[in-house]
Amino acid sequence: MIEMRIKLAVAIVIAVASALLNATVAFAHHAFAAEFDAKKPVKLRGTVAKMEWINPHAWIHVDVKDPDGKVVNWMIEAGTPNTLFRRGFTKNSLAPGTEILVDGYQSKDGSNRANGRDVTFPDGRKLFLGSSGTGAPYDEKK
Amino acid sequence: MNRGLAAASVVAVAVASAAAGTEARMPVVQGQRDLQGIWSNATITPLERPKDLAGKEFFTEAEAIAYEKRVLEESNKDRRDGTPEADVGRAYNDSWWDRGTKVVSTRRTSIIVDPPDGKIPPLTPQAQKAVSARVAVSQRPAGGPEDRGLPERCILWPTAGPPMLSSAYNNNYQILQTPGYVVIFIEMIHDVRIIPLDGRPHLPGNIRQWMGDPRGHWEGNTLVVDSTNFTAKNPFRGSDRNLHLIERFTRIDPDTILYRFTVDDPTAFTRTWTGEVPLTKTPGPIYEYACHEGNYSMTNILSGARAEDKAAEEAAKKGLR
Repeated sequence: MIEMRIKLAVAIVIAVASALLNATVAFAHHAFAAEFDAKKPVKLRGTVAKMEWINPHAWIHVDVKDPDGKVVNWMIEAGTPNTLFRRGFTKNSLAPGTEILVDGYQSKDGSNRANGRDVTFPDGRKLFLGSSGTGAPYDEKK
Repeated sequence: MNRGLAAASVVAVAVASAAAGTEARMPVVQGQRDLQGIWSNATITPLERPKDLAGKEFFTEAEAIAYEKRVLEESNKDRRDGTPEADVGRAYNDSWWDRGTKVVSTRRTSIIVDPPDGKIPPLTPQAQKAVSARVAVSQRPAGGPEDRGLPERCILWPTAGPPMLSSAYNNNYQILQTPGYVVIFIEMIHDVRIIPLDGRPHLPGNIRQWMGDPRGHWEGNTLVVDSTNFTAKNPFRGSDRNLHLIERFTRIDPDTILYRFTVDDPTAFTRTWTGEVPLTKTPGPIYEYACHEGNYSMTNILSGARAEDKAAEEAAKKGLR
């Protein structure tokens, strides 16, 4: 199921708040804004076909049924393999056939690629839970 | 001797004996201080001191905890309260990042220690012009990969520098010492710095390198690395090819190397400036980060730019009718 929603009207108050928040957004491997389109939010529900453990970013391939029942493959950009692995994510964490919901933004070129803004399981659990630390020794030290 | 002086003497003796104790525990290799191991510089301490901390060089312990809490909340990518544009940029659940969660162990409020205001000194007019030109290129739809930043092109990250600074993830370094060289293996894009210690001169001026040309020597227990021959293709905060970088590695306890760097580039900065970051021992391992392996993002960015070109072209046609 693909739900497309478009939000164009944005209150100035939110824009200002967001500009302030943007100041703290960490430097990423690449600018998401150059690759994905803020005007194309997507919500996808599908099953994992495979996970590509590839540098610099892993990609989750998801089979999504479109409204006509046809299966379409989407690619969802994920984090860097080193970090995922350090956080305990393994090749068994997202096995083929697992059902997931992806809330993200479609690529600017209109292909079936999106960034995984939020990835959740059908019961509402997040694929990755926010954590206060990485568990790495330099986090334990103070 | 008055009471104040007596107290000061007691403190001085205590500090000296603590330092002597630490000194005895310091490992040595090939007659020099052993810097070998895997180290991390992950930290949320910013390079420049934030405006609201002006005049404050160090946090107290309680302030450091409060600051860490605030920064983690602000950078929490699980939040959805921004514009769609901010939301796109905040992609990935926060736990996909590995930029550290703590301020530096010295509790400094900025990496920059000199100038005392913790800010990068003003750029020269020439350097300002170069920065503006680069910003203009980065803001238009990319004509080709060369229009995008070095990290996106898998060429270099701030993590590698030099100077080497904490970034989004892969903030890990392995240092090796051989009889004639110090080697720094950088996890990000698996760059390697091979630093000769034999006193050879720098390369001729017409040879420019992405990470400069490093030469190392020991000053007491501190490894000093002097790098020149940079290229303007890898500007560090506005620096150009005349960058002269001095890095100092001092192992101050078994688990910490104090890393200091001084940036001297008279054509780019109005004065020299210095930063300091403790490197913390970490068990590793370091993983290979073969950035070009599947850098689909670059293809997607360029196809996105072409889609934007096409849309602009169609809009222009409609406008003509």
